[in-house]
Amino acid sequence: MSALTLYMLAALLLLAIGLVGLISRRTLVGMLISVEMLLNGAGLSVVAAAKLTPASDAIGQLATIFIMGLAAAEATLVLAMMVVVYRRFDTVTTSALTTLKDAKL
Amino acid sequence: MIDLIASSAALMNASATGVEALSEMMLPQLAHDIMAYVAYGLYVLLILGGGLWAVLARNLVRAMFGLVVTFMGVAAMYLLMASPFMAFMQLLIYIGAISVLIFFAIMLIKNTSSGEEVNFPGPLQALTALISAAAPLVLFGPIIVMNAGKLAQTETPVETPLAELGQGLIEYYVVPFEMISVVLLVAMAGGVLLAWDKRFKK
Repeated sequence: MSALTLYMLAALLLLAIGLVGLISRRTLVGMLISVEMLLNGAGLSVVAAAKLTPASDAIGQLATIFIMGLAAAEATLVLAMMVVVYRRFDTVTTSALTTLKDAKL
Repeated sequence: MIDLIASSAALMNASATGVEALSEMMLPQLAHDIMAYVAYGLYVLLILGGGLWAVLARNLVRAMFGLVVTFMGVAAMYLLMASPFMAFMQLLIYIGAISVLIFFAIMLIKNTSSGEEVNFPGPLQALTALISAAAPLVLFGPIIVMNAGKLAQTETPVETPLAELGQGLIEYYVVPFEMISVVLLVAMAGGVLLAWDKRFKK
């Protein structure tokens, strides 16, 4: 197998593990952890595609830098949202956040 | 693997013909290849172990440490791809900033050891999770294995000069570079606004 295949398979592994976490976690914190793993896999595949093919190295690496910046912004916002949700519902379990449903209060 | 075999065959040919200089040139290449594969396997184990730990740990703090192990594995892969700047950024942004943010989230929301994550997910949820993980593996895995090898490739990547990265930031990516500063500013302001405690307003 070529080096590009190997790195792409590693990125695919990160995608699969992140999806398992995203579905199986019950709280927003656990889901945030899984989303970071998904974004990391995306960055790894972009850098691999840039470094191991004749495409421009710098452009691919900078795209991953932007992914990292967006991941940082996303984590900040999700933290603030979790604080708001926790204040309002006293929990961050996803199954509890059902105000539109006919909730038993 | 194929180029490994090819290089060892070349090594045998070289020593058989008695070209001492060539065999001395080939030996570091073979050792280099073996080292690269061993390092790759180690880093994949790091990513897999850390990822499974992050997904399956019932304590969220331990899950976060598993995530840190995964980040380190990916940083090591960036180093293996001869992009040390990316490895440094990975350590700085993901391990230095995002892990700390997640730790803040765990601490602000008091469900570390007694929360809802203590029990394993139900059978239906576990089945859905496994299906959603198998779908990309089944869909993209064969595509990658069949097609990625056909692309023209540089087998040993060379390090990109840092000046080239900076040049790309102010020429090719100048608009995204300016936009991401706005995004970060808005995210920070939005975070402060969302989490603002009403008590301090009076």
